[in-house]
Amino acid sequence: MKRLENLPTLRIDSSHPISFNYKGKKMQGVKGDTLATALFSNGIRIFSRSLKLHRPRGLYSLDGESGNTLMEVNGIPNLNTENMGLKEGMNVEEQNVKGSANHDLFGFLDRFDKMMPAGFYYRSMHKPAKIWPLAMNVIKKAAGWGKISPDFRKSGRYEDLFPNTDVCVIGGGPAGMTAALSAAKKGLRVILLEARPQLGGFFDYRKRAFNSGKSLFERALELAQQVKDQENIRVFKHTSMIGAYNNNLITAFQVGGKNDYFKERYIEIRAQSVVVATGCIERPLIFENNEKPGVMQVACAHRLAHTYGILPGQRAVFSVGHNLGLEAAIDLYDLGLDVACVADCRETGHDPELIDQLESRKIRLLKGWIALEAQGKKMLNSVTIGTLDRSIKSVIKCDLLVASAGHTPISGPLSINQAKLKYDAQTNFFLPTDIPAKTHAAGRLFGFEWPESIEASGKLAGLKAAADCDVSCVTEIKKVQKSLTNLPGPEEGNKTIMAPVEGRKSFICFDEDVAIKNIKQALNDGFDVPELIKRYTAAGLGPGQAGIPGHNLPLFVADFQGKSPDSINPTNQRAPLVPTSLATYVGAHNDMAKRTPINDLQIKDGGIFRRIGIWERARYFSEDLECKEEILNVRNNVGMLDGSPLGKFRIHGPDALKALQRVYISNIEKLKPGRIKYSAMCNEDGCVIDDGVITKLAENDYYFTTSTGRAGNTVEWIRYHTRYDNWNYHLVNLTDAMGVLNLSGPNSRKVLEKVTDSDVSNENFSFSAVIEIKIKNQIPVRAMRLGFVGELSYELHVASSFLPALWKIIEEAGQEFKISNFGVEAQNVLRMEKCHLILGQESEQRTNLLDVGMGFLWARKMSAENKVGAVALRQASEDKTRLKLVGIKMDDPNRPAKDGSIIVDKKIRGYVCTMRKSLTLKESVGMALVDEEISGVGTHLQIYEDECEGNTISASVIKMPFYDPDGRRMKI
Amino acid sequence: MAEIFRQSPVIFRALPINTEMREFWMVVLEYENETSGQYLVDLSHLTKWDVQSSDLSKLRPAGLKIPKKPGDCLLSDQILISRMNGTQASIWQLGKKTLPSSNESNYTDVTESTTALAIIGDKTFSITEKLSSLDFLDPRKTPPFLLQGPVSDVTCQAISVSKEQGSEGLMLTCSRAYSSDMIAAILDAGREFGLTPAGEGRFNSWMRQLNE
Repeated sequence: MKRLENLPTLRIDSSHPISFNYKGKKMQGVKGDTLATALFSNGIRIFSRSLKLHRPRGLYSLDGESGNTLMEVNGIPNLNTENMGLKEGMNVEEQNVKGSANHDLFGFLDRFDKMMPAGFYYRSMHKPAKIWPLAMNVIKKAAGWGKISPDFRKSGRYEDLFPNTDVCVIGGGPAGMTAALSAAKKGLRVILLEARPQLGGFFDYRKRAFNSGKSLFERALELAQQVKDQENIRVFKHTSMIGAYNNNLITAFQVGGKNDYFKERYIEIRAQSVVVATGCIERPLIFENNEKPGVMQVACAHRLAHTYGILPGQRAVFSVGHNLGLEAAIDLYDLGLDVACVADCRETGHDPELIDQLESRKIRLLKGWIALEAQGKKMLNSVTIGTLDRSIKSVIKCDLLVASAGHTPISGPLSINQAKLKYDAQTNFFLPTDIPAKTHAAGRLFGFEWPESIEASGKLAGLKAAADCDVSCVTEIKKVQKSLTNLPGPEEGNKTIMAPVEGRKSFICFDEDVAIKNIKQALNDGFDVPELIKRYTAAGLGPGQAGIPGHNLPLFVADFQGKSPDSINPTNQRAPLVPTSLATYVGAHNDMAKRTPINDLQIKDGGIFRRIGIWERARYFSEDLECKEEILNVRNNVGMLDGSPLGKFRIHGPDALKALQRVYISNIEKLKPGRIKYSAMCNEDGCVIDDGVITKLAENDYYFTTSTGRAGNTVEWIRYHTRYDNWNYHLVNLTDAMGVLNLSGPNSRKVLEKVTDSDVSNENFSFSAVIEIKIKNQIPVRAMRLGFVGELSYELHVASSFLPALWKIIEEAGQEFKISNFGVEAQNVLRMEKCHLILGQESEQRTNLLDVGMGFLWARKMSAENKVGAVALRQASEDKTRLKLVGIKMDDPNRPAKDGSIIVDKKIRGYVCTMRKSLTLKESVGMALVDEEISGVGTHLQIYEDECEGNTISASVIKMPFYDPDGRRMKI
Repeated sequence: MAEIFRQSPVIFRALPINTEMREFWMVVLEYENETSGQYLVDLSHLTKWDVQSSDLSKLRPAGLKIPKKPGDCLLSDQILISRMNGTQASIWQLGKKTLPSSNESNYTDVTESTTALAIIGDKTFSITEKLSSLDFLDPRKTPPFLLQGPVSDVTCQAISVSKEQGSEGLMLTCSRAYSSDMIAAILDAGREFGLTPAGEGRFNSWMRQLNE
């Protein structure tokens, strides 16, 4: 198709062709095209088939108000080609068709619409029940919005942006631009969002006079230039707002252009004040076959010609309800469109200047007429128009029906920001009321059509936004307010949205094939308000985000029920206001994990890492997930483990001990320098939440450890529980500052002796002792004698920056003793054999200190009132109904039960906490929390695993610990 | 034979061309190809202190007053003090000057706790805007000022040091263990602006520029 040339409003560059493929056929568009306009210019009129009835669908709007032009592009289905910029080499396919969009084998479904009344899927095919899966399959095959391979990888770079601003203006039309300019001129930071690739809004494509000196599009360019020149206005084009949240957090997404670093990016804007100047979309006119290809909205036809240089048809009928319809008819006539007539459902309100222009061009204007039915097999070939009372009808041959009932304000950005919508009889709009503080609205969404009124309202909103940012502009606000009242106010809106037709194929929602008859059915079924009708019929639930049903639904419902629109509310809008891909939401996807200082060394040593909480940890050091070699090496030689994720803290100051006494269940006062105290923290319910060791560094100076999972909460926990005491202590989280090397196994002392001059003999450095040593006379290390894995063990705490050096030194020294790495899974088995607990694994939220057999830690003689959890423990100490931690052994030594499996008889009696096949004991052993009455040694238990289909496995309760019950090996 | 060394949590994939050993730290003064104008500098080796007191006004680290208002910072004589909250401040020793009072119990050396970085260059805040919603260009605040909050979803202390044209820059710390992912996130965000690793020398010349 040859493009219109030399139009000053054009946004395309015909000298810059862009090739793309449509169903394997090479086509050409031009720079500035959207994919939809490029397809249209190549003669494509049927873009898709509808969801349920498989009716042919074509270009109807240009801003993505419906799913008519959803297509599969480069393998991704459901992309709206209306607002997708054309790019070289795009591969475009139809979707949801059997055959092609032109010849869809499922097209016959259109004749069976009576079988799909409102809510049919809620009421039919449910009985007998076995029909439903069958029916569901058939429906899935016949309907849907395209398919994507589960293996599909989306190309391109997706990013995030989190800008801050004083004023965020949503909408880059004349009101938005003037709002942005007036706020920016006050020295404020302004962000301006515009969904289209250029600023200008509805001035952008119109050549009608703005004033005596310039046309509207020239004025748009002038404003856009002013915006560009204003350094403190940041413009985001091709950016759609998608959400609004508390404190003026605005979310949006931007589609990247050719020179942008990103394909799409998700934007979160924090603004002091927000101006919504989103204007209007067109209100669809409802008549029979109102979505047949060849029927399109006024702005669609107008912009196709003025923006993209495409004449939308050869011979057209206009059926409109507003002056922009008349203006479009005149403009398109001047560009060569044969305008058969303009049917205007209004009797009054016509712009006299436009009537004169229609008359001068001999274009028939039929006041009080409306389109009744669009005809044609697949494409429009004629239209029946008639008077509103149907007393006169006429059939006119045409290939284009430009239809519009009026306008609907784009109030979504306001309503999701908690504004209310209230019917306004003057405009026939549902206008925003109760607009939240620091949010303002401007422009056409209030019904302003007069250009200067639109700009004045924008300026006023911009000044009000500036005032929100503490800029003094009261006088200016009053002045602009006054000038606005002297300008033409909101125009009277057309009240007719529907032709006098039965409504069988008069669609109120294109995306879900919801016709007027379906709305009537819903009303007859008792769904009497738009919110219920929406859910029952699915009207507005499609990808167009209610762009087509919009306010037509409440207006029709009110009219059908004989109510005033005052009494009815439009359906709620929710984020995202504009559909976008999940990839855009994911953005840059920086997956932030903690890594220990020797992460890389462990990778080199063959560590297999797993994410454990926020940490990446070496779980295995071979493909053997039972960790046989790792376990046996610790039991027989010596192993080294990276224990750095352990929580580590310093608490010091005059009241440090008091704080420790408050949160630990033991008596810390008895702790002497050089010794280690193992203890636990409970919550107020006595439930055990953490365990670790405490050491006394000096008077009023302690170093303590917590479990990895609790490290992030420890500071807050202690401060919270001492908040009223006004104690003087300082608490510092050293978790990341200190690395930990765990040296375990019977040869561990021999290794340590090789690298330090300090006396680490059992006599000088016994079990539960802590000493400060130097490795190679240089590296200061806090060494603790512990035994979590049940062997002679040392925890070497060292400044994180020294840990890699320490690791290498120990590794080198240990070679003669067959030192090797062991990971957290081997550690898990080793400590499980010793029945040392990992809280969270052998406990859950309701497990108290006594349940897990750690009551010996509780300093019962101390005042319970001043120790977190002690009061609850006292109350629970005689409770026989609680779960108890027990050791269990499987009857089959080679068949460990899965962690988390439930223990049952006639009811659930407990669950398996951890169980592994013990290489040391050659048994499958573990720990379980069970009802006290089945906790006796020797009790037989039945374990029910997921997917066991009722075949339980047997175990029995045994004594703990399983390995080295006297603890000799830890103390050698 | 295994050697004694201290390792920064920050490992850049860049070639150091000028280094210096300081108390077992190998400090990179310059990397190859430091020409982009946008720099990411590792400052993890610099000494940092956590100072806590119910009355911080009584303390005088390096003879300096701790700023009164949380968020306020003081950059003076190669010492940067940031008031974190009512009872806590952080102190960075940016040069060789030490804190004479650092043996007091109020002070804890937290050098090892954090990954410390500086982002320098005119695109600094375009880069941080891709990572954080913290408003480092807040016109109501005078640099240097401290913001505490998420950068790339990790809680950080970030100091907007200068937003003056030509000397823009920011310093931030996060938990040491996030270093690897934090560096990756920052470099990824800065790639479009040419952000490259730089040595301490670049940081020092920026400091000199600020002093001038």
